[in-house]
Amino acid sequence: MNKLKLNYTSLSFLPILVCIPLGSQLINNIHFGGFKLFQEFLISAFNPKIDNEIIITVINRLNETILIGFFSWLVSIIFGAIFGIISSNIFYKIFNIPNFFYRIIRFFLTIIRSIHEVVWGIVLMQIYGINFSIGIIAICIPYIAVNSKVFAEQLETIDYKRFESINQINAPKFSSLLTIVWNPIINTFKNFGLYRLECSIRSTVILGLFGIGGIGTNIFLSFQTLNFRELWTYLWSLAILIILSGLIFKKIKFNTTNKIISIFFIAVFFITILFSFSYFLYFIFNNNFENFNSVSSLFKSSSDLGLFDFLKLILETIILSLLSTGIAISLPPVVIGIFNNNTSKFFIKIFAFILRLIPTPVILLILLTFNNPSLSLAALTLGLHNAGITSKLLFTNLESQDRRNYIAMKSLGISKKTSWLLGLFSQQAKSYLAYCAYRSDIIIRETAIVGVIGSIGLGWQLQESLTSFAWQEVTIVLIAYSSIAIVGELINGKIKNSLT
Amino acid sequence: MNNTLLELKNISYKYKNNLILNKVNLKINSGEKIALLGKSGSGKTTLISVLNGTIKPTQGEVKLFNKSFEELDRKQKSKITTIWQDLRLIEDLSAEQNVNCGLLAENNFYFAFKNLLNISSFKKAHKYMQLCRLHNSVYHKKIRKLSGGQKQRVAIARSLIQGSNILLADEPFNNLDPKLITTIKNLLLENLDKNNTKKSPKTALVALHRLDLLKDFDKVIGIRDGKIFFNIKSNNLKKLHLDKIY
Repeated sequence: MNKLKLNYTSLSFLPILVCIPLGSQLINNIHFGGFKLFQEFLISAFNPKIDNEIIITVINRLNETILIGFFSWLVSIIFGAIFGIISSNIFYKIFNIPNFFYRIIRFFLTIIRSIHEVVWGIVLMQIYGINFSIGIIAICIPYIAVNSKVFAEQLETIDYKRFESINQINAPKFSSLLTIVWNPIINTFKNFGLYRLECSIRSTVILGLFGIGGIGTNIFLSFQTLNFRELWTYLWSLAILIILSGLIFKKIKFNTTNKIISIFFIAVFFITILFSFSYFLYFIFNNNFENFNSVSSLFKSSSDLGLFDFLKLILETIILSLLSTGIAISLPPVVIGIFNNNTSKFFIKIFAFILRLIPTPVILLILLTFNNPSLSLAALTLGLHNAGITSKLLFTNLESQDRRNYIAMKSLGISKKTSWLLGLFSQQAKSYLAYCAYRSDIIIRETAIVGVIGSIGLGWQLQESLTSFAWQEVTIVLIAYSSIAIVGELINGKIKNSLT
Repeated sequence: MNNTLLELKNISYKYKNNLILNKVNLKINSGEKIALLGKSGSGKTTLISVLNGTIKPTQGEVKLFNKSFEELDRKQKSKITTIWQDLRLIEDLSAEQNVNCGLLAENNFYFAFKNLLNISSFKKAHKYMQLCRLHNSVYHKKIRKLSGGQKQRVAIARSLIQGSNILLADEPFNNLDPKLITTIKNLLLENLDKNNTKKSPKTALVALHRLDLLKDFDKVIGIRDGKIFFNIKSNNLKKLHLDKIY
C-alpha cells in the first residue's frame, strides 16, 4: 500500500476537519428562538439609522477612536523603534555590552507582547478606573513590544560587513549606531508603520467594547439594547473609516530626502518621547489605585482557583486556539476553491470584509443570539474573523500570481476547480501556510477577547477574578496566558522557519 | 629610532578549523609603501582585517604605535583607514553621505545626525569626490544606483577624507580604467595638505594583482596559504619570487 504523503496544498485543506466536532456541538446548541433577532440584525444592515443626532454621535465617537488610535500608534511606533534598537544584537556589538542583557530585554518584551491589549485594558481599567488614557496605555504596552520585535528583526538583517566598515572608522559609538540603523529603521517605518496605525485603530474599537470609549463603546451599547439599526450605523461608519484610511495610507509616501519633512519627523519624535515621559510620571503620581492594594498582593496567599479547574481552563484555551486556527487556515481555500467564479468571488470578498470589519466580540454576541455559549462557538467566532484576514491575503496573492499553469491545465480539459487547485493554489500554499503560522500567534492572544465574552477558557476566568478583585488569581491567569502565547510563538516560529 | 607603526608578531588565524593565517610576522615602518601580492584566497583580506583590528587573531599579537589594540583609544585607532575589496558602502545613503561617513571619527553625534538628514555640509566630501574624478551628477545618487567604478571611487573618497596616516587597501584598483588607476594610485599613496599641493609621506599596505603598479611601492610582500613567502624591496622582485606564490 502506498504511504500517505502530505504536501503544502493538502496541509492547507486538512484543518477543515475541525468543522466536524465543531459543527456537531454547534447544531446541538442551537436555540431557534433567537433566529428572529439574527434576522433583524441582518435586515438592519440595509436600513441603518440615519438622523442628525446619530451622525453627530458617530463623528464624535470616530474622533475619539482616531485620537486614541493615533496617539497609541505614535507612542508605540517611536518606543518600538527605540526598544527594537536596544533589543537587536547590533547595539550590543557597537557598545561591547554582553549579550546577556540583550536576552533579558528580549524575554521581557516577549512576555509583554504575549498578553493581548484587551487583557491589559481590562486589568488597567480595574486598577485605575475608566479613563481615556487607559486605552492609549493598554494599546501601547503590547504594541511597543510587537513593534520592537519587527524593528529588531529588520536590524538583524543588516549586513555584518556594513557594521565592520563603520566600526572601523572608529567614530563615537552613538554616531556609528545611528549611521548603521538609520535606514533600516526608516524603511521599516515606511513599510510597516501605517499598517500598525490601522491595527491601532482596530484595537481601539475592540477596547471600546469593553468601555474605554470611542465608537466601540457605542457599538456595544447599541447591541446590548438590541438597537441593530443604530449598531449598523456605527459599523458602516467604521467601515468607511477603514476603507478611507486604507486609501489615504496607499497615497502617503514618506519622502525622507526632504529636509523640512525630516526635521518635522524628528521634532515629532522628540516631542512624543518628552510628552510620554511627562505623562507617565503624571499618571503614576496622580492615581489613587483605589482597588489595587499593592504589588505584593499579586503574589500573596493561595487562590481559590483549584488546580484541576485551572488546568481545564488552560486546555480549553489551547483547544480554542487550535480550532480557530484550523478554520482560519482552511476555510478561505475551501470556499474560494468551491465557489470559483467571478460573481462568487465578489460576494466572498464582501463577506470576508464584513468578517474583518465586525470586531470579534460583536460577532460572538451575534452568534449567541441563536446558539448557547460553548467552546465551539468561541472557536467559530475567532476562526471566522481570522479567516476574513487570511482570505484577503490569499486573494491578493492569487490575483498577482502567474496564471500560465492554470491556463495550460484548463486547455488540457482539466476542470476549473482542479486547475485552480493545482495550477494556482498549490504554488501559493507554502507562503500561505507560513502567513497562517504567524496568524496563529495572534489567534492565541485573541482567545482572551472571546474568552471574556463567551465564558470560555482563561479569558472568562480573568474577567471573573478581576471583578472579584482576586489579584493573585489574575496574576496566575496572566502567567498562564503568557506561557501559552510564548510556547505557541516558539512552535509557530519553528513552523515559519521550515516554511520560509 | 624605532619608527615601526604596525607590527604583527607570530599571528595565526583559524576559521572553522582552516588555518587562514599561519605564524605571520610583519613590521610596517612609517612612510613605507608596501604591495601585498598573492592568489585569491591566499589570506590577503584576512591579513588586512587583522591589521585594522576588525578580526582578532587566534594567536599572536598586533601592535599599533607599539601598543596592542586594546590599549589604544578611539582617536589612535582612527589613524588607520581601510578600503575594502567589497567596498562596504551604505547602499541606502547617497554618495556624498557615504563619503561624509569618513568624517564621523573627528565629529560628534550631531554631525552623524545631520549627515543622515542630509543637512550637513558636503563641501569637504565634494572636494575629495572631485579628486577621485567623480562627476557632480553622482553626488546625490544612492550607492545602489552607481556603477562599479563609481562605487569604487566613493569608497576611496571616503577613505581619503578620513585623513589617516595608515592606509590599508584591498584591491582598490578594481573596476577602474587605466587612466583612472594612475590618478587614484597617486591619490592613495600621497598625503595631501589642505590645499592639495604639498605632499608628505604616507604609510600604505595595498593588496593588488597588477604587477605593473609595483614600481611605485617600496616593498613587496608575497603571501600564499596564509604564510609570508617573501618580504623584499620592490626593485629586487624576480620571476622566481612570483612563481612561489602564484
